[in-house]
Amino acid sequence: MSNRLCILIAEPSFLIREGLKTLLSNQGQPYRLEEFDAPVDDLDKLINRINPDLVLLNPKLVVRLVSLPRYSDNNFEPYYIGLFEPGTPPHIQSKFDQMIWLDAEKSELNKVMEKVLKHLRNGLSEPENNSLSERELSILKLVALGHTNNEIADKLFISAHTVMTHRKNITRKLGIKTVSGLTVYAILNQLIKIEEIQGAD
Amino acid sequence: MHIHKDLKMAEVIHMNHHLLPVLNRFDIYLGFGERTVEAVCIDHKVNVDFFLEIVNTFHDSSYFPLRHLQSFKASMLIDYLHKTHAYYLDVKIPEIGRYISEIAQTSDFEEIHRKLLKDFFNQYQHELTNHINKEEQGVYPYVLRLEKALESEDANAETIKELQQYSIIEYEKDHDDVEAKLFDLKNILIKYLPPVHNNKLLNLIVHEIFELERDLNNHGHIEDLILVPIVENMEKELLSRHPKRHSNV
Repeated sequence: MSNRLCILIAEPSFLIREGLKTLLSNQGQPYRLEEFDAPVDDLDKLINRINPDLVLLNPKLVVRLVSLPRYSDNNFEPYYIGLFEPGTPPHIQSKFDQMIWLDAEKSELNKVMEKVLKHLRNGLSEPENNSLSERELSILKLVALGHTNNEIADKLFISAHTVMTHRKNITRKLGIKTVSGLTVYAILNQLIKIEEIQGAD
Repeated sequence: MHIHKDLKMAEVIHMNHHLLPVLNRFDIYLGFGERTVEAVCIDHKVNVDFFLEIVNTFHDSSYFPLRHLQSFKASMLIDYLHKTHAYYLDVKIPEIGRYISEIAQTSDFEEIHRKLLKDFFNQYQHELTNHINKEEQGVYPYVLRLEKALESEDANAETIKELQQYSIIEYEKDHDDVEAKLFDLKNILIKYLPPVHNNKLLNLIVHEIFELERDLNNHGHIEDLILVPIVENMEKELLSRHPKRHSNV
């Protein structure tokens, strides 16, 4: 997992995009940026392709905003900041994790940005907490051996949802997304033996 | 800074040498002298506007090609995408594959590690090839049929029928898993492979994989930002000429 944040700005106004970039740069953190200024038909697809940690989104830009893409198998949950103009309705506001009013004062804007980036930085993989927990190790082994989430849930007496959460954390810590990649990792680190693998592809 | 037609082609390469393989897909090779982008394109019978949209999309991932979309023929774009595929399958992937075999052979890995590395890469190669074949055999011919139907006044009935049942938007790209495998391969090499003797070669492999990833991302970008809108327009145009007949079924 890279330590550089991936940030997506989707906002029609050039001036506002430049302003947001200045705000972000003031935080002194390295980041990679993707910018969009045209209407987004398929937000899920965009988020899946770019896989951002942070999304600054003007809801006006999304054609039919129903819900914000939160989770897909390979990706991590992005943090959404809404870029709101006066009059943005509450049911839109409530979809976002954080909001920025485009007419807000400088100090207010800096405060929000600092808070969000601090939150995200804590979520990034730090060297010291990068090792897998016992639980994660046992789940990793089962995944590498070819078991499905449901099978793992049954074996360990936990819910499939919990298995998914652990898998998300494993992927984040190791930087490996696919089952076959996890299998390679498990064998290289002698967590499993190749003879044990059942029904490998 | 965006690349424009009056820049010297040599300056373009100074700005971003990663564009070299992209230029090669237009059959443009080094040795530009002082000629401008426009002059080189004319020499090679390449549409300058199209060339600029492609290189700018590659050069700046936030660049949004909008201006000349209508003027591009889909077949021009398909030709470019096709050459990109050929570059992956005939040049880049075999090259990286050779390096991977070499590093597996020349390191004193255990046999099992050797096999793991090669198998993982082979799986990736297999998935990428499948994905590319799907586009080459399904989507691209469909687009070319649309273009043909638009050019000839009486479109063949089958194309129209196909069009009424299918749209480019439904074409879900399964780039995802292919991308994830390449991402994993990078981390396996960078973080988890046991030490090797030939570090220069390993550096080279990692470098090549980053280059390939950049190129693939751009390829997906061009499909989403240029191909899909062009084809949507073609579909609309054709459908307006041949309105859907409602049946009771």
